[in-house]
Amino acid sequence: MRSGSESRRRIGTLARLLALAIGTALVLSFPQVAPNPYVLSAGVVIVNYAVLATSWNLVGGFTGYISLGHGAYLGLGAYGTGLLVTRADVPSFVALVIAAAIVAVLAIPIGIASLRVRGASFVIVSIALVLILLLVFQSWASFTGGSNGLVVPRPFPGLRRPEHHMVFFYLFCALLALALLAWWIIDRSRFGLGLKAIREDEDKAQALGTPTFAYKLAAFVVSATFTALGGGMYALWFGDLDPIFQFSILTGAYMVLMALLGGVRHLFGPVLGALVVGYALEYFKLEYGDTQLHLVATGVLLGLVVLFMPDGVIPAVADLYARFFKPQAASIREVSTAELLAQRAAEAGAQPGGGDGGPGGEPGGTSVPTSAEAKR
Amino acid sequence: MNVTTRARRAMVATAAAAALALSGCSAGDSGDTTDDPIVIGISLPLTGDFSEPGKGVQRGYEAWAKIVNDKGGLLGRKVELKILDDQSNADRIVADYEQLIGKDGVDLVFGPFSTRLVIPAARVAEEYGMLFVEPAGAAPEVFQQGFKNLFYAAPAVADDHYNHLAEYIIGMPADQRPQTVAYAAMDDPFAQGTAYGLKAKLEEAGIRTVVDEVYPPNTTDFSSIAAKIAASNADMIVGGTQYQDAVNLIVALQQLNYQPKLAAFSTAPTNPEFAKAIGNKTEGILAPTGYTDKASYPSNVEFVAKYKEMFGTVPSEDEANAYTTGQVVAAAVEAVGCAEQGECQQKLVEWLRKNTVETVVGPLSWDETGRPQGAHMIQQYVDGEIQIVLPAEAKEADLIYPKPNW
Amino acid sequence: MISGSLLFQSLILGVLLGGLYALLAAGLTLYFGVMRVVMIAHSAFLILAAYLAWYFHRQTGLDPLLSMVVTAPLFFVIGVAMQRLLITRLRPATRTMMSVLLTFAIAIGIEGLLGYVFTGTHRRTQLSYSGASFELFGARVAVVKLIAFGLAAAALGGLFLLLRKTTFGQALRATMQHKEAAELAGIDTDRVAGYGFGIGLATAAVGGTAMALDVTIYPSLHWHWIGPLMAIIVVGGLGSVPGAAIAAMLLGVTQSLLQLPLGTTWAQTIFYLALFATLVFRPQGFFGGRLAQRF
Repeated sequence: MRSGSESRRRIGTLARLLALAIGTALVLSFPQVAPNPYVLSAGVVIVNYAVLATSWNLVGGFTGYISLGHGAYLGLGAYGTGLLVTRADVPSFVALVIAAAIVAVLAIPIGIASLRVRGASFVIVSIALVLILLLVFQSWASFTGGSNGLVVPRPFPGLRRPEHHMVFFYLFCALLALALLAWWIIDRSRFGLGLKAIREDEDKAQALGTPTFAYKLAAFVVSATFTALGGGMYALWFGDLDPIFQFSILTGAYMVLMALLGGVRHLFGPVLGALVVGYALEYFKLEYGDTQLHLVATGVLLGLVVLFMPDGVIPAVADLYARFFKPQAASIREVSTAELLAQRAAEAGAQPGGGDGGPGGEPGGTSVPTSAEAKR
Repeated sequence: MNVTTRARRAMVATAAAAALALSGCSAGDSGDTTDDPIVIGISLPLTGDFSEPGKGVQRGYEAWAKIVNDKGGLLGRKVELKILDDQSNADRIVADYEQLIGKDGVDLVFGPFSTRLVIPAARVAEEYGMLFVEPAGAAPEVFQQGFKNLFYAAPAVADDHYNHLAEYIIGMPADQRPQTVAYAAMDDPFAQGTAYGLKAKLEEAGIRTVVDEVYPPNTTDFSSIAAKIAASNADMIVGGTQYQDAVNLIVALQQLNYQPKLAAFSTAPTNPEFAKAIGNKTEGILAPTGYTDKASYPSNVEFVAKYKEMFGTVPSEDEANAYTTGQVVAAAVEAVGCAEQGECQQKLVEWLRKNTVETVVGPLSWDETGRPQGAHMIQQYVDGEIQIVLPAEAKEADLIYPKPNW
Repeated sequence: MISGSLLFQSLILGVLLGGLYALLAAGLTLYFGVMRVVMIAHSAFLILAAYLAWYFHRQTGLDPLLSMVVTAPLFFVIGVAMQRLLITRLRPATRTMMSVLLTFAIAIGIEGLLGYVFTGTHRRTQLSYSGASFELFGARVAVVKLIAFGLAAAALGGLFLLLRKTTFGQALRATMQHKEAAELAGIDTDRVAGYGFGIGLATAAVGGTAMALDVTIYPSLHWHWIGPLMAIIVVGGLGSVPGAAIAAMLLGVTQSLLQLPLGTTWAQTIFYLALFATLVFRPQGFFGGRLAQRF
């Protein structure tokens, strides 16, 4: 038995690694496969979404603190990078790193203030943060360019547009790999265990000695930093910043939707969500033109996810599949009806006179083989 | 369960990526034969903040397309407009032009409305090497970006819109002219550009600025700005505005019973809905305009007549700017003899750099950054109708001063 | 130079605005008190009501206030339906958090629908008396703003009367105070909660119609209002209707006065500053929120 499960596990790991390798190869070959630069630019946007969703998941998925205002760090990263490049003449990618560092430092007091409250209050505070930053960046036009927008110079000026898209596609993929690595490391660590404890029941975790506040803050800062990196990279790629898009509650909502849809408890969950939602958005735009229906679709999708699939689409679908095709696994009973009847018939046959194999008999724990078969 | 879920997840992800790539393949680009129509890609703000003038620009383009096609088309081929709605969003407009040039492979592009949207759109066109003639990017920033393919299809840039009015005011006798001015401008490169251009000249002549407010584009509540302006009792109000903000500001000023001697607003008064929106109290309101339908340029006479047939009213400035854009591009295309992406675009750019084009707003020529070399006129509501009052050579009526109460 | 008359004018504007805020905040308080639900879609319904009033006026030419006859009952029904069909579906353990997401989804759904049907163009009701005003001790009071204020005050007064003087109001207050105890006392809290929700949404209808008189509306306007409203109910104390009203008045007047030195946009930050300050120093609110806990 033991060697059987060990070899099964080894095959499982191999299968996983193989799937990962194929997936990576497919993703990295996308720029060559893309039929025109427009599709490539859509791909860049989707990878950007994947980075943002995974970064959000570092705090939202682990601690259960749902922040609808993560757009704030996106905007800060974008504007930080843009302003450093335009005002301080810092080279583009150095500016990116410095801006992310600044956001990390800023996230500490913000986190200390926001994480004092929980649940819905926390969501309100996160929304308030985005709105206030939007106001500030719109009004402080002399510094930020206000609603005129901030033009961020290209880091590689000579490139034609298609090559520009391709370079940034790979850069975003690298950033995504970093974010996924960070998630993977945290997931396996004691730190991650503490965070998950916070998600399950914060008071009990605290009673058991987990330094909940410090852990929450750490996750918050890491998440904000990665989001800022994503935002800064976007600024370098897109080149034109406007407060109303950078500090957008809608973008924050997309991040939450993608992570929730894909599944917050899994490594590739947000990536999957980003693929689905990002692709759906592009498709909507192309087929139905630029109407506001994509907002309605987002709302409906988010509503459905919240109502029916709060753990993500894959667990929900897996549950449905199990309910219809593998009723044994989803059932609380340990033997099926047919088996129960067979058991009772066998008992009635083995003990002439009935015994206790009547209708009130207990279903489980009669004979060893049946129980072993019934269990998964 | 964990193993299968992870593997399943990764495979779903890669399958989706493949699906994305493959579905993109379904988009074909049009092959170019000499009988195919010339497809012109445009993104316009048909909804959102800039939708009123955006729709005006659309009508102008459509009128141009019809007139050109009725005459046999360009280079013997019909022209076809492909218009997308960017919802007045800088994000969308980039994606729109990316789609038009990169995916749909259009032969030519026309510019969008509003300076704010022109810069990101122009960058896309520039990086694909396309000629970019635009009807509405007039602020100084547009010409400071280093674009080499951009041309503005109107007589003058934002700063110079109010030049004739500035001259007129400074030329008035010192005891009659306004002593104090209040400025309210939207944080938009064009709107603010017009107001600040006038401000610079008036301040130089010693006319005092008593209120100087700038507001973000989605501002709808003007009570406090109006309160400040009313309290200052400025002789003159200058609005660097688009459309709805001008309406809201004027209504707020009406509510406070502020009565200036001179009132000038950019863009809004040229819009047909304007009069009704402010309760028809329009007498005396000034606005800069690049166009008058009564101008006698030959192409204008034809334009006004055909436009009236198509839409039932005479065209106003936005439509005219759009038509001018079409004229400019058509002139280059006819002269150079090609209309497609690639090297042709560079030839078109070089031709326009060196030549003058006759349009419905007069002859246009440009400097090396795409700035036109003309000047705007000043219009005013006189007897309930829009009339040109400045410059003297073009005027249809005398300028009313002081403005009657609204 | 800020003159006395400018100050007084701003004060008047602040009071008129505060009244509207108070009505809107009262509705939000009802949702939270009754079901611990943070209803982010409240301002979206507000804008929806405003659009309906504008559309009504445009199609029929009648005064937009008349549209309230239809919208208020309609929104009441929608509110009850929402509570019965959607909110009760959420798992009680995470209800507050999930209600934020759910109502957020409803809000952007409404915004999308409005944008699709009416497009994003800014709309303003053009009434013959839009520009009219009269003088009051040197300040000018716009007629439309006064009507909006009057409407809000009347609705708020009606709400107070309902809560204090009627049996249903007592049942509602009992449910808000302590659900289990109310059930023990024989109150059908589910039904009361449903009606409470309906009343909350009906106040949005009234508020929206009042807004339609003077405010320029566009689909994404609700974001402009949800921030201040959230701040108001947190500052006022979650679950306290009088607290919300007081906080609304206070913050509305402060915002209006701050617009003088700081300008419109910076003055809006007062709401968020007040929100952060309240959460840091007195999370349960300043004006009597007994229900606020670290929920």
